[in-house]
Amino acid sequence: MRWVLLILAAAGLAVAGWMNWDRTRHPVATPIADFSAPFVFGRFAVPPENPLTEEAFALGRHLFYDPILSGNNQVSCATCHVQALAFTDGRAKSPSLSGGELDFSAMSLANLLWGQERFFWDGRATSLEEQALIPIQHPDEMGQDIDALMAELEASGTYRRMFRQAYGAVTPENTAKALATFMRMLISSESKYDKYLRGEARLTAQEEHGRKLFMAHPDTKVSLRGGNCIDCHSQFLTSGFRDALDGFSNNGLDPDDTLPDGLMAVTGNPAHKGFFKVPTLRNIAVTAPYMHDGRFETLEDVMAHYNDGIVVSDTLSPLILEADNAPEAAKGTVGLRMTPEEIQAIIAFLHTLTDEAFLTNPKFSDPFEGGS
Amino acid sequence: MKLNQFTQSILIGTGLILAGLSPALSQDREESQGMVLLRGLPTLDTSHSIAIIELDPESERFGEILSEVEQPEMVHPLHHLYYSPNGRLYSTGLDPSCSLAEVGLSRDAGGAPVISGFDCLDTQGQMVGEDIMWANSNGQEYMFVTFLGGTGGDDGGSVGVFDAQTNEVVKVIEARKSQVGEGAPYIMYPHGISAFDDRMVVTSTVHPDLSTGVGNALTIIDLNTLEPIENITVEKEKPLNFPSSPVEVLFARPDMHPDIEPAILANTMFGFETWKVPYDASSKTFGEAEVIYSGVANETAVPLEFYGTEDELFISHALPGVVKRYDLAALPELVSSGPDIVADPGAHHMIFFTSASGRDLIAIQNNLLNLGNSADNDPTDVDFIAGLNSHTISVHDLETGERLATVNIKDRYNKGIENLEGLFGSGFVHHH
Repeated sequence: MRWVLLILAAAGLAVAGWMNWDRTRHPVATPIADFSAPFVFGRFAVPPENPLTEEAFALGRHLFYDPILSGNNQVSCATCHVQALAFTDGRAKSPSLSGGELDFSAMSLANLLWGQERFFWDGRATSLEEQALIPIQHPDEMGQDIDALMAELEASGTYRRMFRQAYGAVTPENTAKALATFMRMLISSESKYDKYLRGEARLTAQEEHGRKLFMAHPDTKVSLRGGNCIDCHSQFLTSGFRDALDGFSNNGLDPDDTLPDGLMAVTGNPAHKGFFKVPTLRNIAVTAPYMHDGRFETLEDVMAHYNDGIVVSDTLSPLILEADNAPEAAKGTVGLRMTPEEIQAIIAFLHTLTDEAFLTNPKFSDPFEGGS
Repeated sequence: MKLNQFTQSILIGTGLILAGLSPALSQDREESQGMVLLRGLPTLDTSHSIAIIELDPESERFGEILSEVEQPEMVHPLHHLYYSPNGRLYSTGLDPSCSLAEVGLSRDAGGAPVISGFDCLDTQGQMVGEDIMWANSNGQEYMFVTFLGGTGGDDGGSVGVFDAQTNEVVKVIEARKSQVGEGAPYIMYPHGISAFDDRMVVTSTVHPDLSTGVGNALTIIDLNTLEPIENITVEKEKPLNFPSSPVEVLFARPDMHPDIEPAILANTMFGFETWKVPYDASSKTFGEAEVIYSGVANETAVPLEFYGTEDELFISHALPGVVKRYDLAALPELVSSGPDIVADPGAHHMIFFTSASGRDLIAIQNNLLNLGNSADNDPTDVDFIAGLNSHTISVHDLETGERLATVNIKDRYNKGIENLEGLFGSGFVHHH
């Protein structure tokens, strides 16, 4: 009996010691195993104070899918960012907590590692870390008090451990860092077009026609027909433009009298009125409806806008204004004036940007539904 | 427990190093980083390698190798790097085991570029890869590669036509002089390659052993049929008493500049000349070849490469080691656009980029054949023309030609330099 008690006491001491050590030890910064990113996507930089680690990714993934982040514990980031829809929600505008709808359509999340210096449709955040906390605290999005959230996370042994392993303490800053890391790791590089670039797939004749149109600015002087897409969507494989305000444009949706502020709301510069973020086109076929306000339901609608529906305003992109495949046919309208076959070719090309492996990657899925 | 803490320390340290340092490295400007092929020197016990090197004189890391993959198993090195239109990186090779390769590039968790390896491609026996270009035949894009040795023999040489997606051989264009009959078009020791519309031109340079034979002609290939259709002799002076050995070639064409009248420009390695062959696109006929630059008259020798920016054409002359510059719009005539850029003996490949402060720069690889030095009793030395192995990359202000910095690859890394290319894709607008 005495031996049993001694053994139990020793075991108790060991457990207590381990728990004490586990509470006080430093984070375990494990670099992401086997990390590799496509060279052709270009240079990227991770903030030195928030390196990519396995622990930060695991924590960020849990937080992303956990409704604990919202005030009513019913809304998670994933509510409006659904993996199967390339982390959009299929709605023109997401519903707000107050029963209405939000100002903007939920943005697709993919390849955020590359470049961007401005986030949201109107560029109101200057880093992923800054961006991460804004929806949480927005009264119409997740309606959470940040101090209350910290208390809830601190009360969870699982989260205490995950924070400790990733960063140390449970803090708003570390919450933002973890969410940013999860989003940075949402790398999509297995679309048909990616495989084409690597020599692993061929485009059909229609897709190849669309690729060439996508890449070309029309020039009637040399009989070059083009869809003019690349002029704004040069970073279409990733999400970003390295230079702070590059990648924002007025693409001719509204006249001056109803033109929303867009980027001007952030910069105060009237020249930025009506400017919105040029989004990634990766997985564009699954992210309908389109534009910052989700006004177009299909890619055909989008192409119809660019083909013959451009609305002229003071800040309209000059690259859009003067891109015309048939200026002689102009009858008071502005647009590309491509043929139906050319439009379908561009749409076929856009479908090659769908990355099914990304949309179903278990690493990016809800960890509370059996994912690891 | 001590072991665990020790392990933790290692993990944390490694993590901090990887996570803390790599992002800093990744923020280096890649525009000024070069891809180089380095040749191991037998007497210095070094291996061939592919490497990324910093070339901005304003960087504290100037001349530093940032990433490197060695090829200790290869007797002869990879030879010449090219980016495909889709950004895939290829290299020709001198070793029969790897005459053509695709080089892998990726990025680590800090964003830094990494050479991830290379795959040797099946060339169906074609050896000693030299130049690559991508061109269309009947509306389909292919990768064309010149193989100096072809499938072997004293008068070998071939142009390999590869599927641009799968890298599989589609056709081997061969026409041995000894087999085609008197006066019929042949391909022999092809090296330089260029194309315009449906006409491709390759040079006839020298047998890979540098002694069996030397060429003196260009071969025109019909891109519709992928067959040679004409030879054009480009030989006049023989300062070395060798055949002229045309080496690099550029089909000057209107898509380089609308003012350009189409014509072939060819440099003769042993004739020291630049030749012009006018082309009439409407009749698809070539005019009379003429010398438009004489190395003998201008005291230069071994003209090699053509590289073009948006407004200038640059031609390297291995001796005395200069790069001459010309007005691109005036092509095919060579109208000087400024004084020579004085590099080092062996002036050869070049790239164009900007410094961190925005200065326009040119970096020049100063090595021909890139072999060892006889002074080192290096068995790879072939001293048929003395002093062409400076083993340097010199970096100059593009506007003034002023030399800003030099890295001596042999002194610093015990290797020769085989080729220089930009990391971010072609550091030039026109090459072939």
